[in-house]
Amino acid sequence: MSIPGIPGLGQIIQPAAHAPTHRTITLRPFGEWRFQVRRNATATAKLLSGTAERDGTELALNRSYTFRRTRSRLLTWTGCTIEVSGEFEKEDVVQYNNPEESAYIPTLNLHHYCHERRQAAGARGPRVMICGGPNTGKSTMARTLVALATRSGSQPLFGNVDPREGLLTLPGTVSAAVFGTIMDVEDPAGGTGVTSTPSSGPSSVPVKLPMAYYFGRERVEDDERLWRDLVSKLGSSVRAKFEEDGQVKAGGLVLDTPAVELVSLKEGVGWLVHSVKEFAINVVIVLGSTEVYEELKQQLGSEKTTHGENIDIVPLDRPDGVVERDEMFLQDAREAVIKEYFFGDSRRTLSPFTQSVGFDDVAIFKASEDTDLYDNEQPPLEPAEISGAMAHWTLAVMNASVNDPPETIRQAPVIGWVAIANVDEDKRRLRILSPVSGRLGNQPMVWGSWPEPYINLLG
Amino acid sequence: MADTADDVAEDYRQALEDLTLSSRIEIATLTNIARENAIHGLAIVEVLTNHIKKCPPNRTLPALYVLDSIVKNVPTPYALYFGPKLYSIFMGAYTKVDNSTRAKMNEMLKTWKEPVPGSISKKPVFPIEQVRPIENALIAAKNAAFAATQSSFQGQQQLMRGRQPVAPIRNTPTPPTGRAYQPPPHGQYQQHQDAGFPMRPGSGPNGVPSRATPQPAPPVGGYSHHQQQLQPAAREVYGAPPQGISIDKLKHDIQQLIVADRAEFAQDPLDTSKQTRLKALLDLQAIIQSQGQDMPQDQLMIIRDRIAELAAVNLRAQKQQQLPQPSVSAAAAAPPAHNASAPHHHPATYNQPPYTHTPTPPVVSQPPPAAAAVPQLPPAIAALLGRAPQPAPTPPPPLAAAPGGVGAGNGGAGTGTLSLDSILGKGALAALLSGVAQKSATPTPTPPPQVPTPQFPPVAIPPAAAAAIAALRSPTQPLPFQPPPHHPPASVPAPTPSSSSSAAAGPIPPPADPSALLAMLRQTGLIGNNNNNTPTPPPPHQLPIPPPGFVIPGLVPGVPPPPPPGFLDRATIQLAPNSLKLFRPHLVPLHLDALGPPCTQCGRRFRTDEAGRRRKTAHMDWHFRVHQRVAEAERRGQHRSWFVDEMDWIRSHEEADVDWVSPASLDDANANGGAGGGGSSAGGQGGRAGQKAGGGSSNEKKQYIPVPEDASRINSACPICQEKFEMKWLDEAQEWVWMDAMMVGSAGNKRVFHASCYREVHGNSGSGGQGQGGAGYRATPERVLGKRKAEVSFFFFFFFLGRNHIL
Repeated sequence: MSIPGIPGLGQIIQPAAHAPTHRTITLRPFGEWRFQVRRNATATAKLLSGTAERDGTELALNRSYTFRRTRSRLLTWTGCTIEVSGEFEKEDVVQYNNPEESAYIPTLNLHHYCHERRQAAGARGPRVMICGGPNTGKSTMARTLVALATRSGSQPLFGNVDPREGLLTLPGTVSAAVFGTIMDVEDPAGGTGVTSTPSSGPSSVPVKLPMAYYFGRERVEDDERLWRDLVSKLGSSVRAKFEEDGQVKAGGLVLDTPAVELVSLKEGVGWLVHSVKEFAINVVIVLGSTEVYEELKQQLGSEKTTHGENIDIVPLDRPDGVVERDEMFLQDAREAVIKEYFFGDSRRTLSPFTQSVGFDDVAIFKASEDTDLYDNEQPPLEPAEISGAMAHWTLAVMNASVNDPPETIRQAPVIGWVAIANVDEDKRRLRILSPVSGRLGNQPMVWGSWPEPYINLLG
Repeated sequence: MADTADDVAEDYRQALEDLTLSSRIEIATLTNIARENAIHGLAIVEVLTNHIKKCPPNRTLPALYVLDSIVKNVPTPYALYFGPKLYSIFMGAYTKVDNSTRAKMNEMLKTWKEPVPGSISKKPVFPIEQVRPIENALIAAKNAAFAATQSSFQGQQQLMRGRQPVAPIRNTPTPPTGRAYQPPPHGQYQQHQDAGFPMRPGSGPNGVPSRATPQPAPPVGGYSHHQQQLQPAAREVYGAPPQGISIDKLKHDIQQLIVADRAEFAQDPLDTSKQTRLKALLDLQAIIQSQGQDMPQDQLMIIRDRIAELAAVNLRAQKQQQLPQPSVSAAAAAPPAHNASAPHHHPATYNQPPYTHTPTPPVVSQPPPAAAAVPQLPPAIAALLGRAPQPAPTPPPPLAAAPGGVGAGNGGAGTGTLSLDSILGKGALAALLSGVAQKSATPTPTPPPQVPTPQFPPVAIPPAAAAAIAALRSPTQPLPFQPPPHHPPASVPAPTPSSSSSAAAGPIPPPADPSALLAMLRQTGLIGNNNNNTPTPPPPHQLPIPPPGFVIPGLVPGVPPPPPPGFLDRATIQLAPNSLKLFRPHLVPLHLDALGPPCTQCGRRFRTDEAGRRRKTAHMDWHFRVHQRVAEAERRGQHRSWFVDEMDWIRSHEEADVDWVSPASLDDANANGGAGGGGSSAGGQGGRAGQKAGGGSSNEKKQYIPVPEDASRINSACPICQEKFEMKWLDEAQEWVWMDAMMVGSAGNKRVFHASCYREVHGNSGSGGQGQGGAGYRATPERVLGKRKAEVSFFFFFFFLGRNHIL
C-alpha cells in the first residue's frame, strides 16, 4: 500500500513516493537553478544538503517547498543538492567556473556595504534605490537586498513606487513595509505578495504590515501628478517611521522603482529623481542601462540628500538570467494576487465576507474625467456612477471619511480592497466581497483602472 | 500568598470544568497550577478526585490525564496524595467510560508501574501495591465480561476486528509496528513542555524517551482501537517488573506456548500453519536455551513481545474456536495501520520518530554496540518474529521484509541506550546504529514530518580530505553538507580529496567519542538545545570539492584574504561598478555560517551564543504555537485584516518572535502573548485572548467603549499590541462596543487602547507584574490562576471570536 503524505508544518503534502519525477540536482558553489512553474502546476524543491536561497532568503534543510506560478531561481553560495519534483515549464542549471561570473556578486557586495553602514551606533542606514529599464531584475535585486539585510538582523524598510506591481498589496499602489522577519520562500512573489500581510489567524511565515497608497493606474504617466503626490505621502510616512523607530532607521530603505523606458527617458528619470528626493535616497543602483545612468547623473547633478550625504549612482550590468515576464504571465500574477488577497493561498484559506448593499449605502469615488491639469478648482475625485460596468473590479478602501474632501480621500492610506461581485441595476444593489465583515458605508472606496477586473472571483 | 486553599480549590474546580478535550496545553497548564500550589495539594487532589468521579464520561479521560500528568511531573506530594485513592478513582472512572477510553486508561495504568520517563528516579509512578489491586480487578472484570459476551460476539468478531469494542483480546502488533502505534502524544507533550512549559527542567527538547503517558491523545479517536485491553497473558508479560528481561521467564513462556501448541497440533495434525508455528517455537526455544544469556536486551525484548503476542493469540484461539487464526488479519493489518496512524502525529512533533512508548524496561545505559549485533539475529528467530504468527497465507506485512533490520533500529533505540537516547533523540540514535552496522536498514516506514532527518550519519573526514576542505570551511560552519537522507548509508562512497562531486558527503563510522558525536549533532541542530549545550569545537565537515581550478582563496573567516596588489581594494567595498563586481570570498560565510546554524523549520539562522540561543528557543516556541493555532484557525475560519492607518503603522514595531518575555518565564510569556504584535499576529491574539479571559475570570468589571461614531478618526488597533479592537454587540449596553477597550486622552487627541494592554504598560492594577515575575515566584496565586485559566479557555475564546466575525 502506498504511504499517505504527512501533512506537516506548513508543508504541502508531497506527491506520492512513486512519482517518477523526483530528481536530484547538484549545484557547485555559486550555481543557480532557474525554474519556471506554470500557473496551475505545482513543483517542489527540497534542499538536501548545503545551503541555498531564493532571492536572499535561505531554504531550510530537508523541508519541501512548493512553488506555483513562479519564475525564480535557487542560488547557492556554498554548493548544494536539491531534490526537485513536479511540473516545470522550464528549468535550467547554471554553473560558473569563476565566482566573479555570478550575477549576484554585486548584490552580495552591496549588501555588505550596506550592512557595514547599518552597524554604526545611531546610524542612518543607507537608502538604496534600484532602477533601470524594463526586465533588468530590479525587483529581484531589491528583494534580495532586503532579505539579506533581514537575515543579518536588520529591519530595513522595503518600498515600492512602481504601480504596475504591488509590494504586499494589489498592483496599482505605492507601498512600503518593514521587513524584520523572514520572507516567504514559497510565495510566487518571493515574500512580497499579499499572502504575507496580516490576517485574523496565525501565519506560518511572519506577516509584514504594509503602508499603501492607492494610485489605481498602471503607469506613472497615467496620472503623474497623483503619483508624485502619493510618493511624497509615502516618503513622509517613511521619514516618520525612521524617526519613530531607531532600528528601522538603522536598517535603511530599499526602494523598487518603475522601469524607465528609453522612449520617455527624461520623464522616467524625472520620476526617479522625485523618489530620490522624497526618500532621501543616497545610493542609486542603475541596472543595465547606461542611458538611464547618464540621464540620472545629469538630472541629479551634485545634489545631496536632506541629511547632507552624497548621492552615489552606480551603474551595474543587467544580471544574466533575468526572466522575461510576458504579459500573459503578469496578468495571471495580478489575477492570482487579487484572489489570494481575498481567499488566501493553498497554505492558508481565508474566508472573505459578501454583503449586499444598496447603491446609496456606499460611497464609491473615481478619478474625475477630463482632468484639466491646470484647473485646480476641479476636485480630483467624483462620486462614481454605479453600473454594471463596475462588476468584478476591485476597489480600494481608503482610511478616510466619506465626508472628507476629495483630495484627502485620494491621498489617504489604503486599508484594503473590496471586489464588486455583481451589480443589480434594477434593485440598485451591489454584492460586495470584503475581507473583513462590517459596514462599508463610512469608508470611501475608490475605483481605479488598475489592476484590471478579475472575472472569476466568485464564479 | 494570600490565597486560601479554598480559593485555589475553587479556581481549580472551575478550570477542570472547562476541560473537555485532551489538550496538551490545558493539561500542562493544570499541571503547572498544581505544581505551583503544591502547598494546597490536598485541596487540589480533593477537587480533581471529585471531578473525575462526577464529570460526564466524555470528560473523564482528560481529567485522568491531568491526574497522570500531575503525579508524573509533581510526584511529591501528589503521588502520595493520590496513591491511597487510586483504586477508587480509577475503578470509578473505568466503570463509566467506554471501551476506547478504557484502553487508554489501561495504557496509562501501565505507565504507572514504570518510572517517570526522563526522570532519574527509578521508582515507579505509583508503588506497585497501589497499582496491582487495580490490575487484578480489571482482569477479573474482563474475564467476567469476556465470558458474558463471548458467545454473542463470535459472529461479528471477524467483521469488527479492528474496532471490536468488547472483545478484550487484542493482539499487540508486532514489536516494531507496535511501538509505532503507541500514541505519539507523550512526545508532543514533552515537546510542548520544552517549548512552552518547561516543567521538567532536566529534559532536553527532543529526545526524552517518550514511554509514558498515553496522554493527551489528540482527539482523533484513531488509534485507540489499536491498543485494546491487553489480554491477561500479555499483561502478565508486560507487567514484568521493569528490570530487564528475564531469560527464565521467557523460557517459561515459550515452554507454555509450545505445550499449548502441541495440544492444538494434536487436535488438528493436518494444519500446516500450526505445524510451522510449533516448529518455529521449538527453534526459538533451542536458541534461547543455547544463546539466551548472550543476547542483547533489545533482541530479547522483541522476542518477548512476540511471545506475548503469540500467547494472546493462543488464548483467543482457545476461547473462540470459531476463529482459529484470529491473529492473522490483526497482524496483517498492523503495518498499514501503522502507516495510517502516522498522519495523526501532531506536526509539532519535530523530532519524534513515530515509534514511541514501549513498555521497555528502563535498561540502564547499555552500550550501543548491542544493537549492532542485531543483524546476526539467527534466521530462525527472524523468521519467527516476522512470520511465525501468520499461519494463513496472507500477504506479508511490509515490515516482514526486514524484520531484523527494523527491529534492530527500533529495538536499539528503544532499549539499548536509554540514556544516550534521551539526549540524542531516538531517530538519531537509530540512524547512528544503522550507520555502525553499515547496513541499509530500512528506515521507519513513514518518516515523521519535519524530522530533521534522523538519517544523519556524523561526518568525520579523513585527514587528507579535511585538509583539502579546510580552505572552504569556516570554524563555525555546521555541516553545510549533510548527506542526502535517502542514501542508504552503506552505498555512499566515502569522500576522497579528489572527488569532484558535491554529493560526495558520505557517512563514515562515527567517532568513537560519544561526546564528540553529541556535540556534532547538537551543533547541526539535529538535536536541540540541551541544557548543557556548551559550545563545542565544530566537527569537521564537508563541502563539495570544487572542480580543479575553482579555488576560492581564504574562505576562512577571521582570516581575510590579503588584499591583492592593484588598485582594487578587496577589503573595503566601494560604490563603484568595479569594486562591486569583485568577488570577496570572505563575505560569503558572513551571511551563512557566521550567523549560526539555521532553524530546521524556516531556515532562519541563530547564533550559538547566549542571546542567540535564547532567541532560537523563543523562535522555536513561536513556530510551535503557530503550528498549533493554524489548525484551530482553519476550523474557525480566518480572513485578511485591514491594513492600519499611518500613525499605527509608524508606531508599530517589527519584532521577530516577539511573544515571549524572557526564557525564565516562558509560560508566562505564553499567557502574555505578543504584546508587541508585529512579528506574529497569532501571538498577539493569544495574549489578547488570554488577558481578556483572564480579566473576566477575576471578576473585573468588563471594560468597553461604544464603537466610536467616526471610526476612521480614531485608531482601530491598540497602539500597544497592534491588535484590532473586536467589535461586539453587547446586550447589556444595547450597542456595538469594543470590548476590553478604553479611551485615553482629551478630545483633540484621543486614542483607544486595550484596557488590559494599557494596564499592563502603565501597571496600575498589578497584572503587568506577571511577565517579569520569573519562574517560581508569582504575585498572587489567584492571579496566576486567572492567567492560566485564561489559557485554558483560550480556544473557546477564539471560537467566540470566530463567531463574531461571521455575525
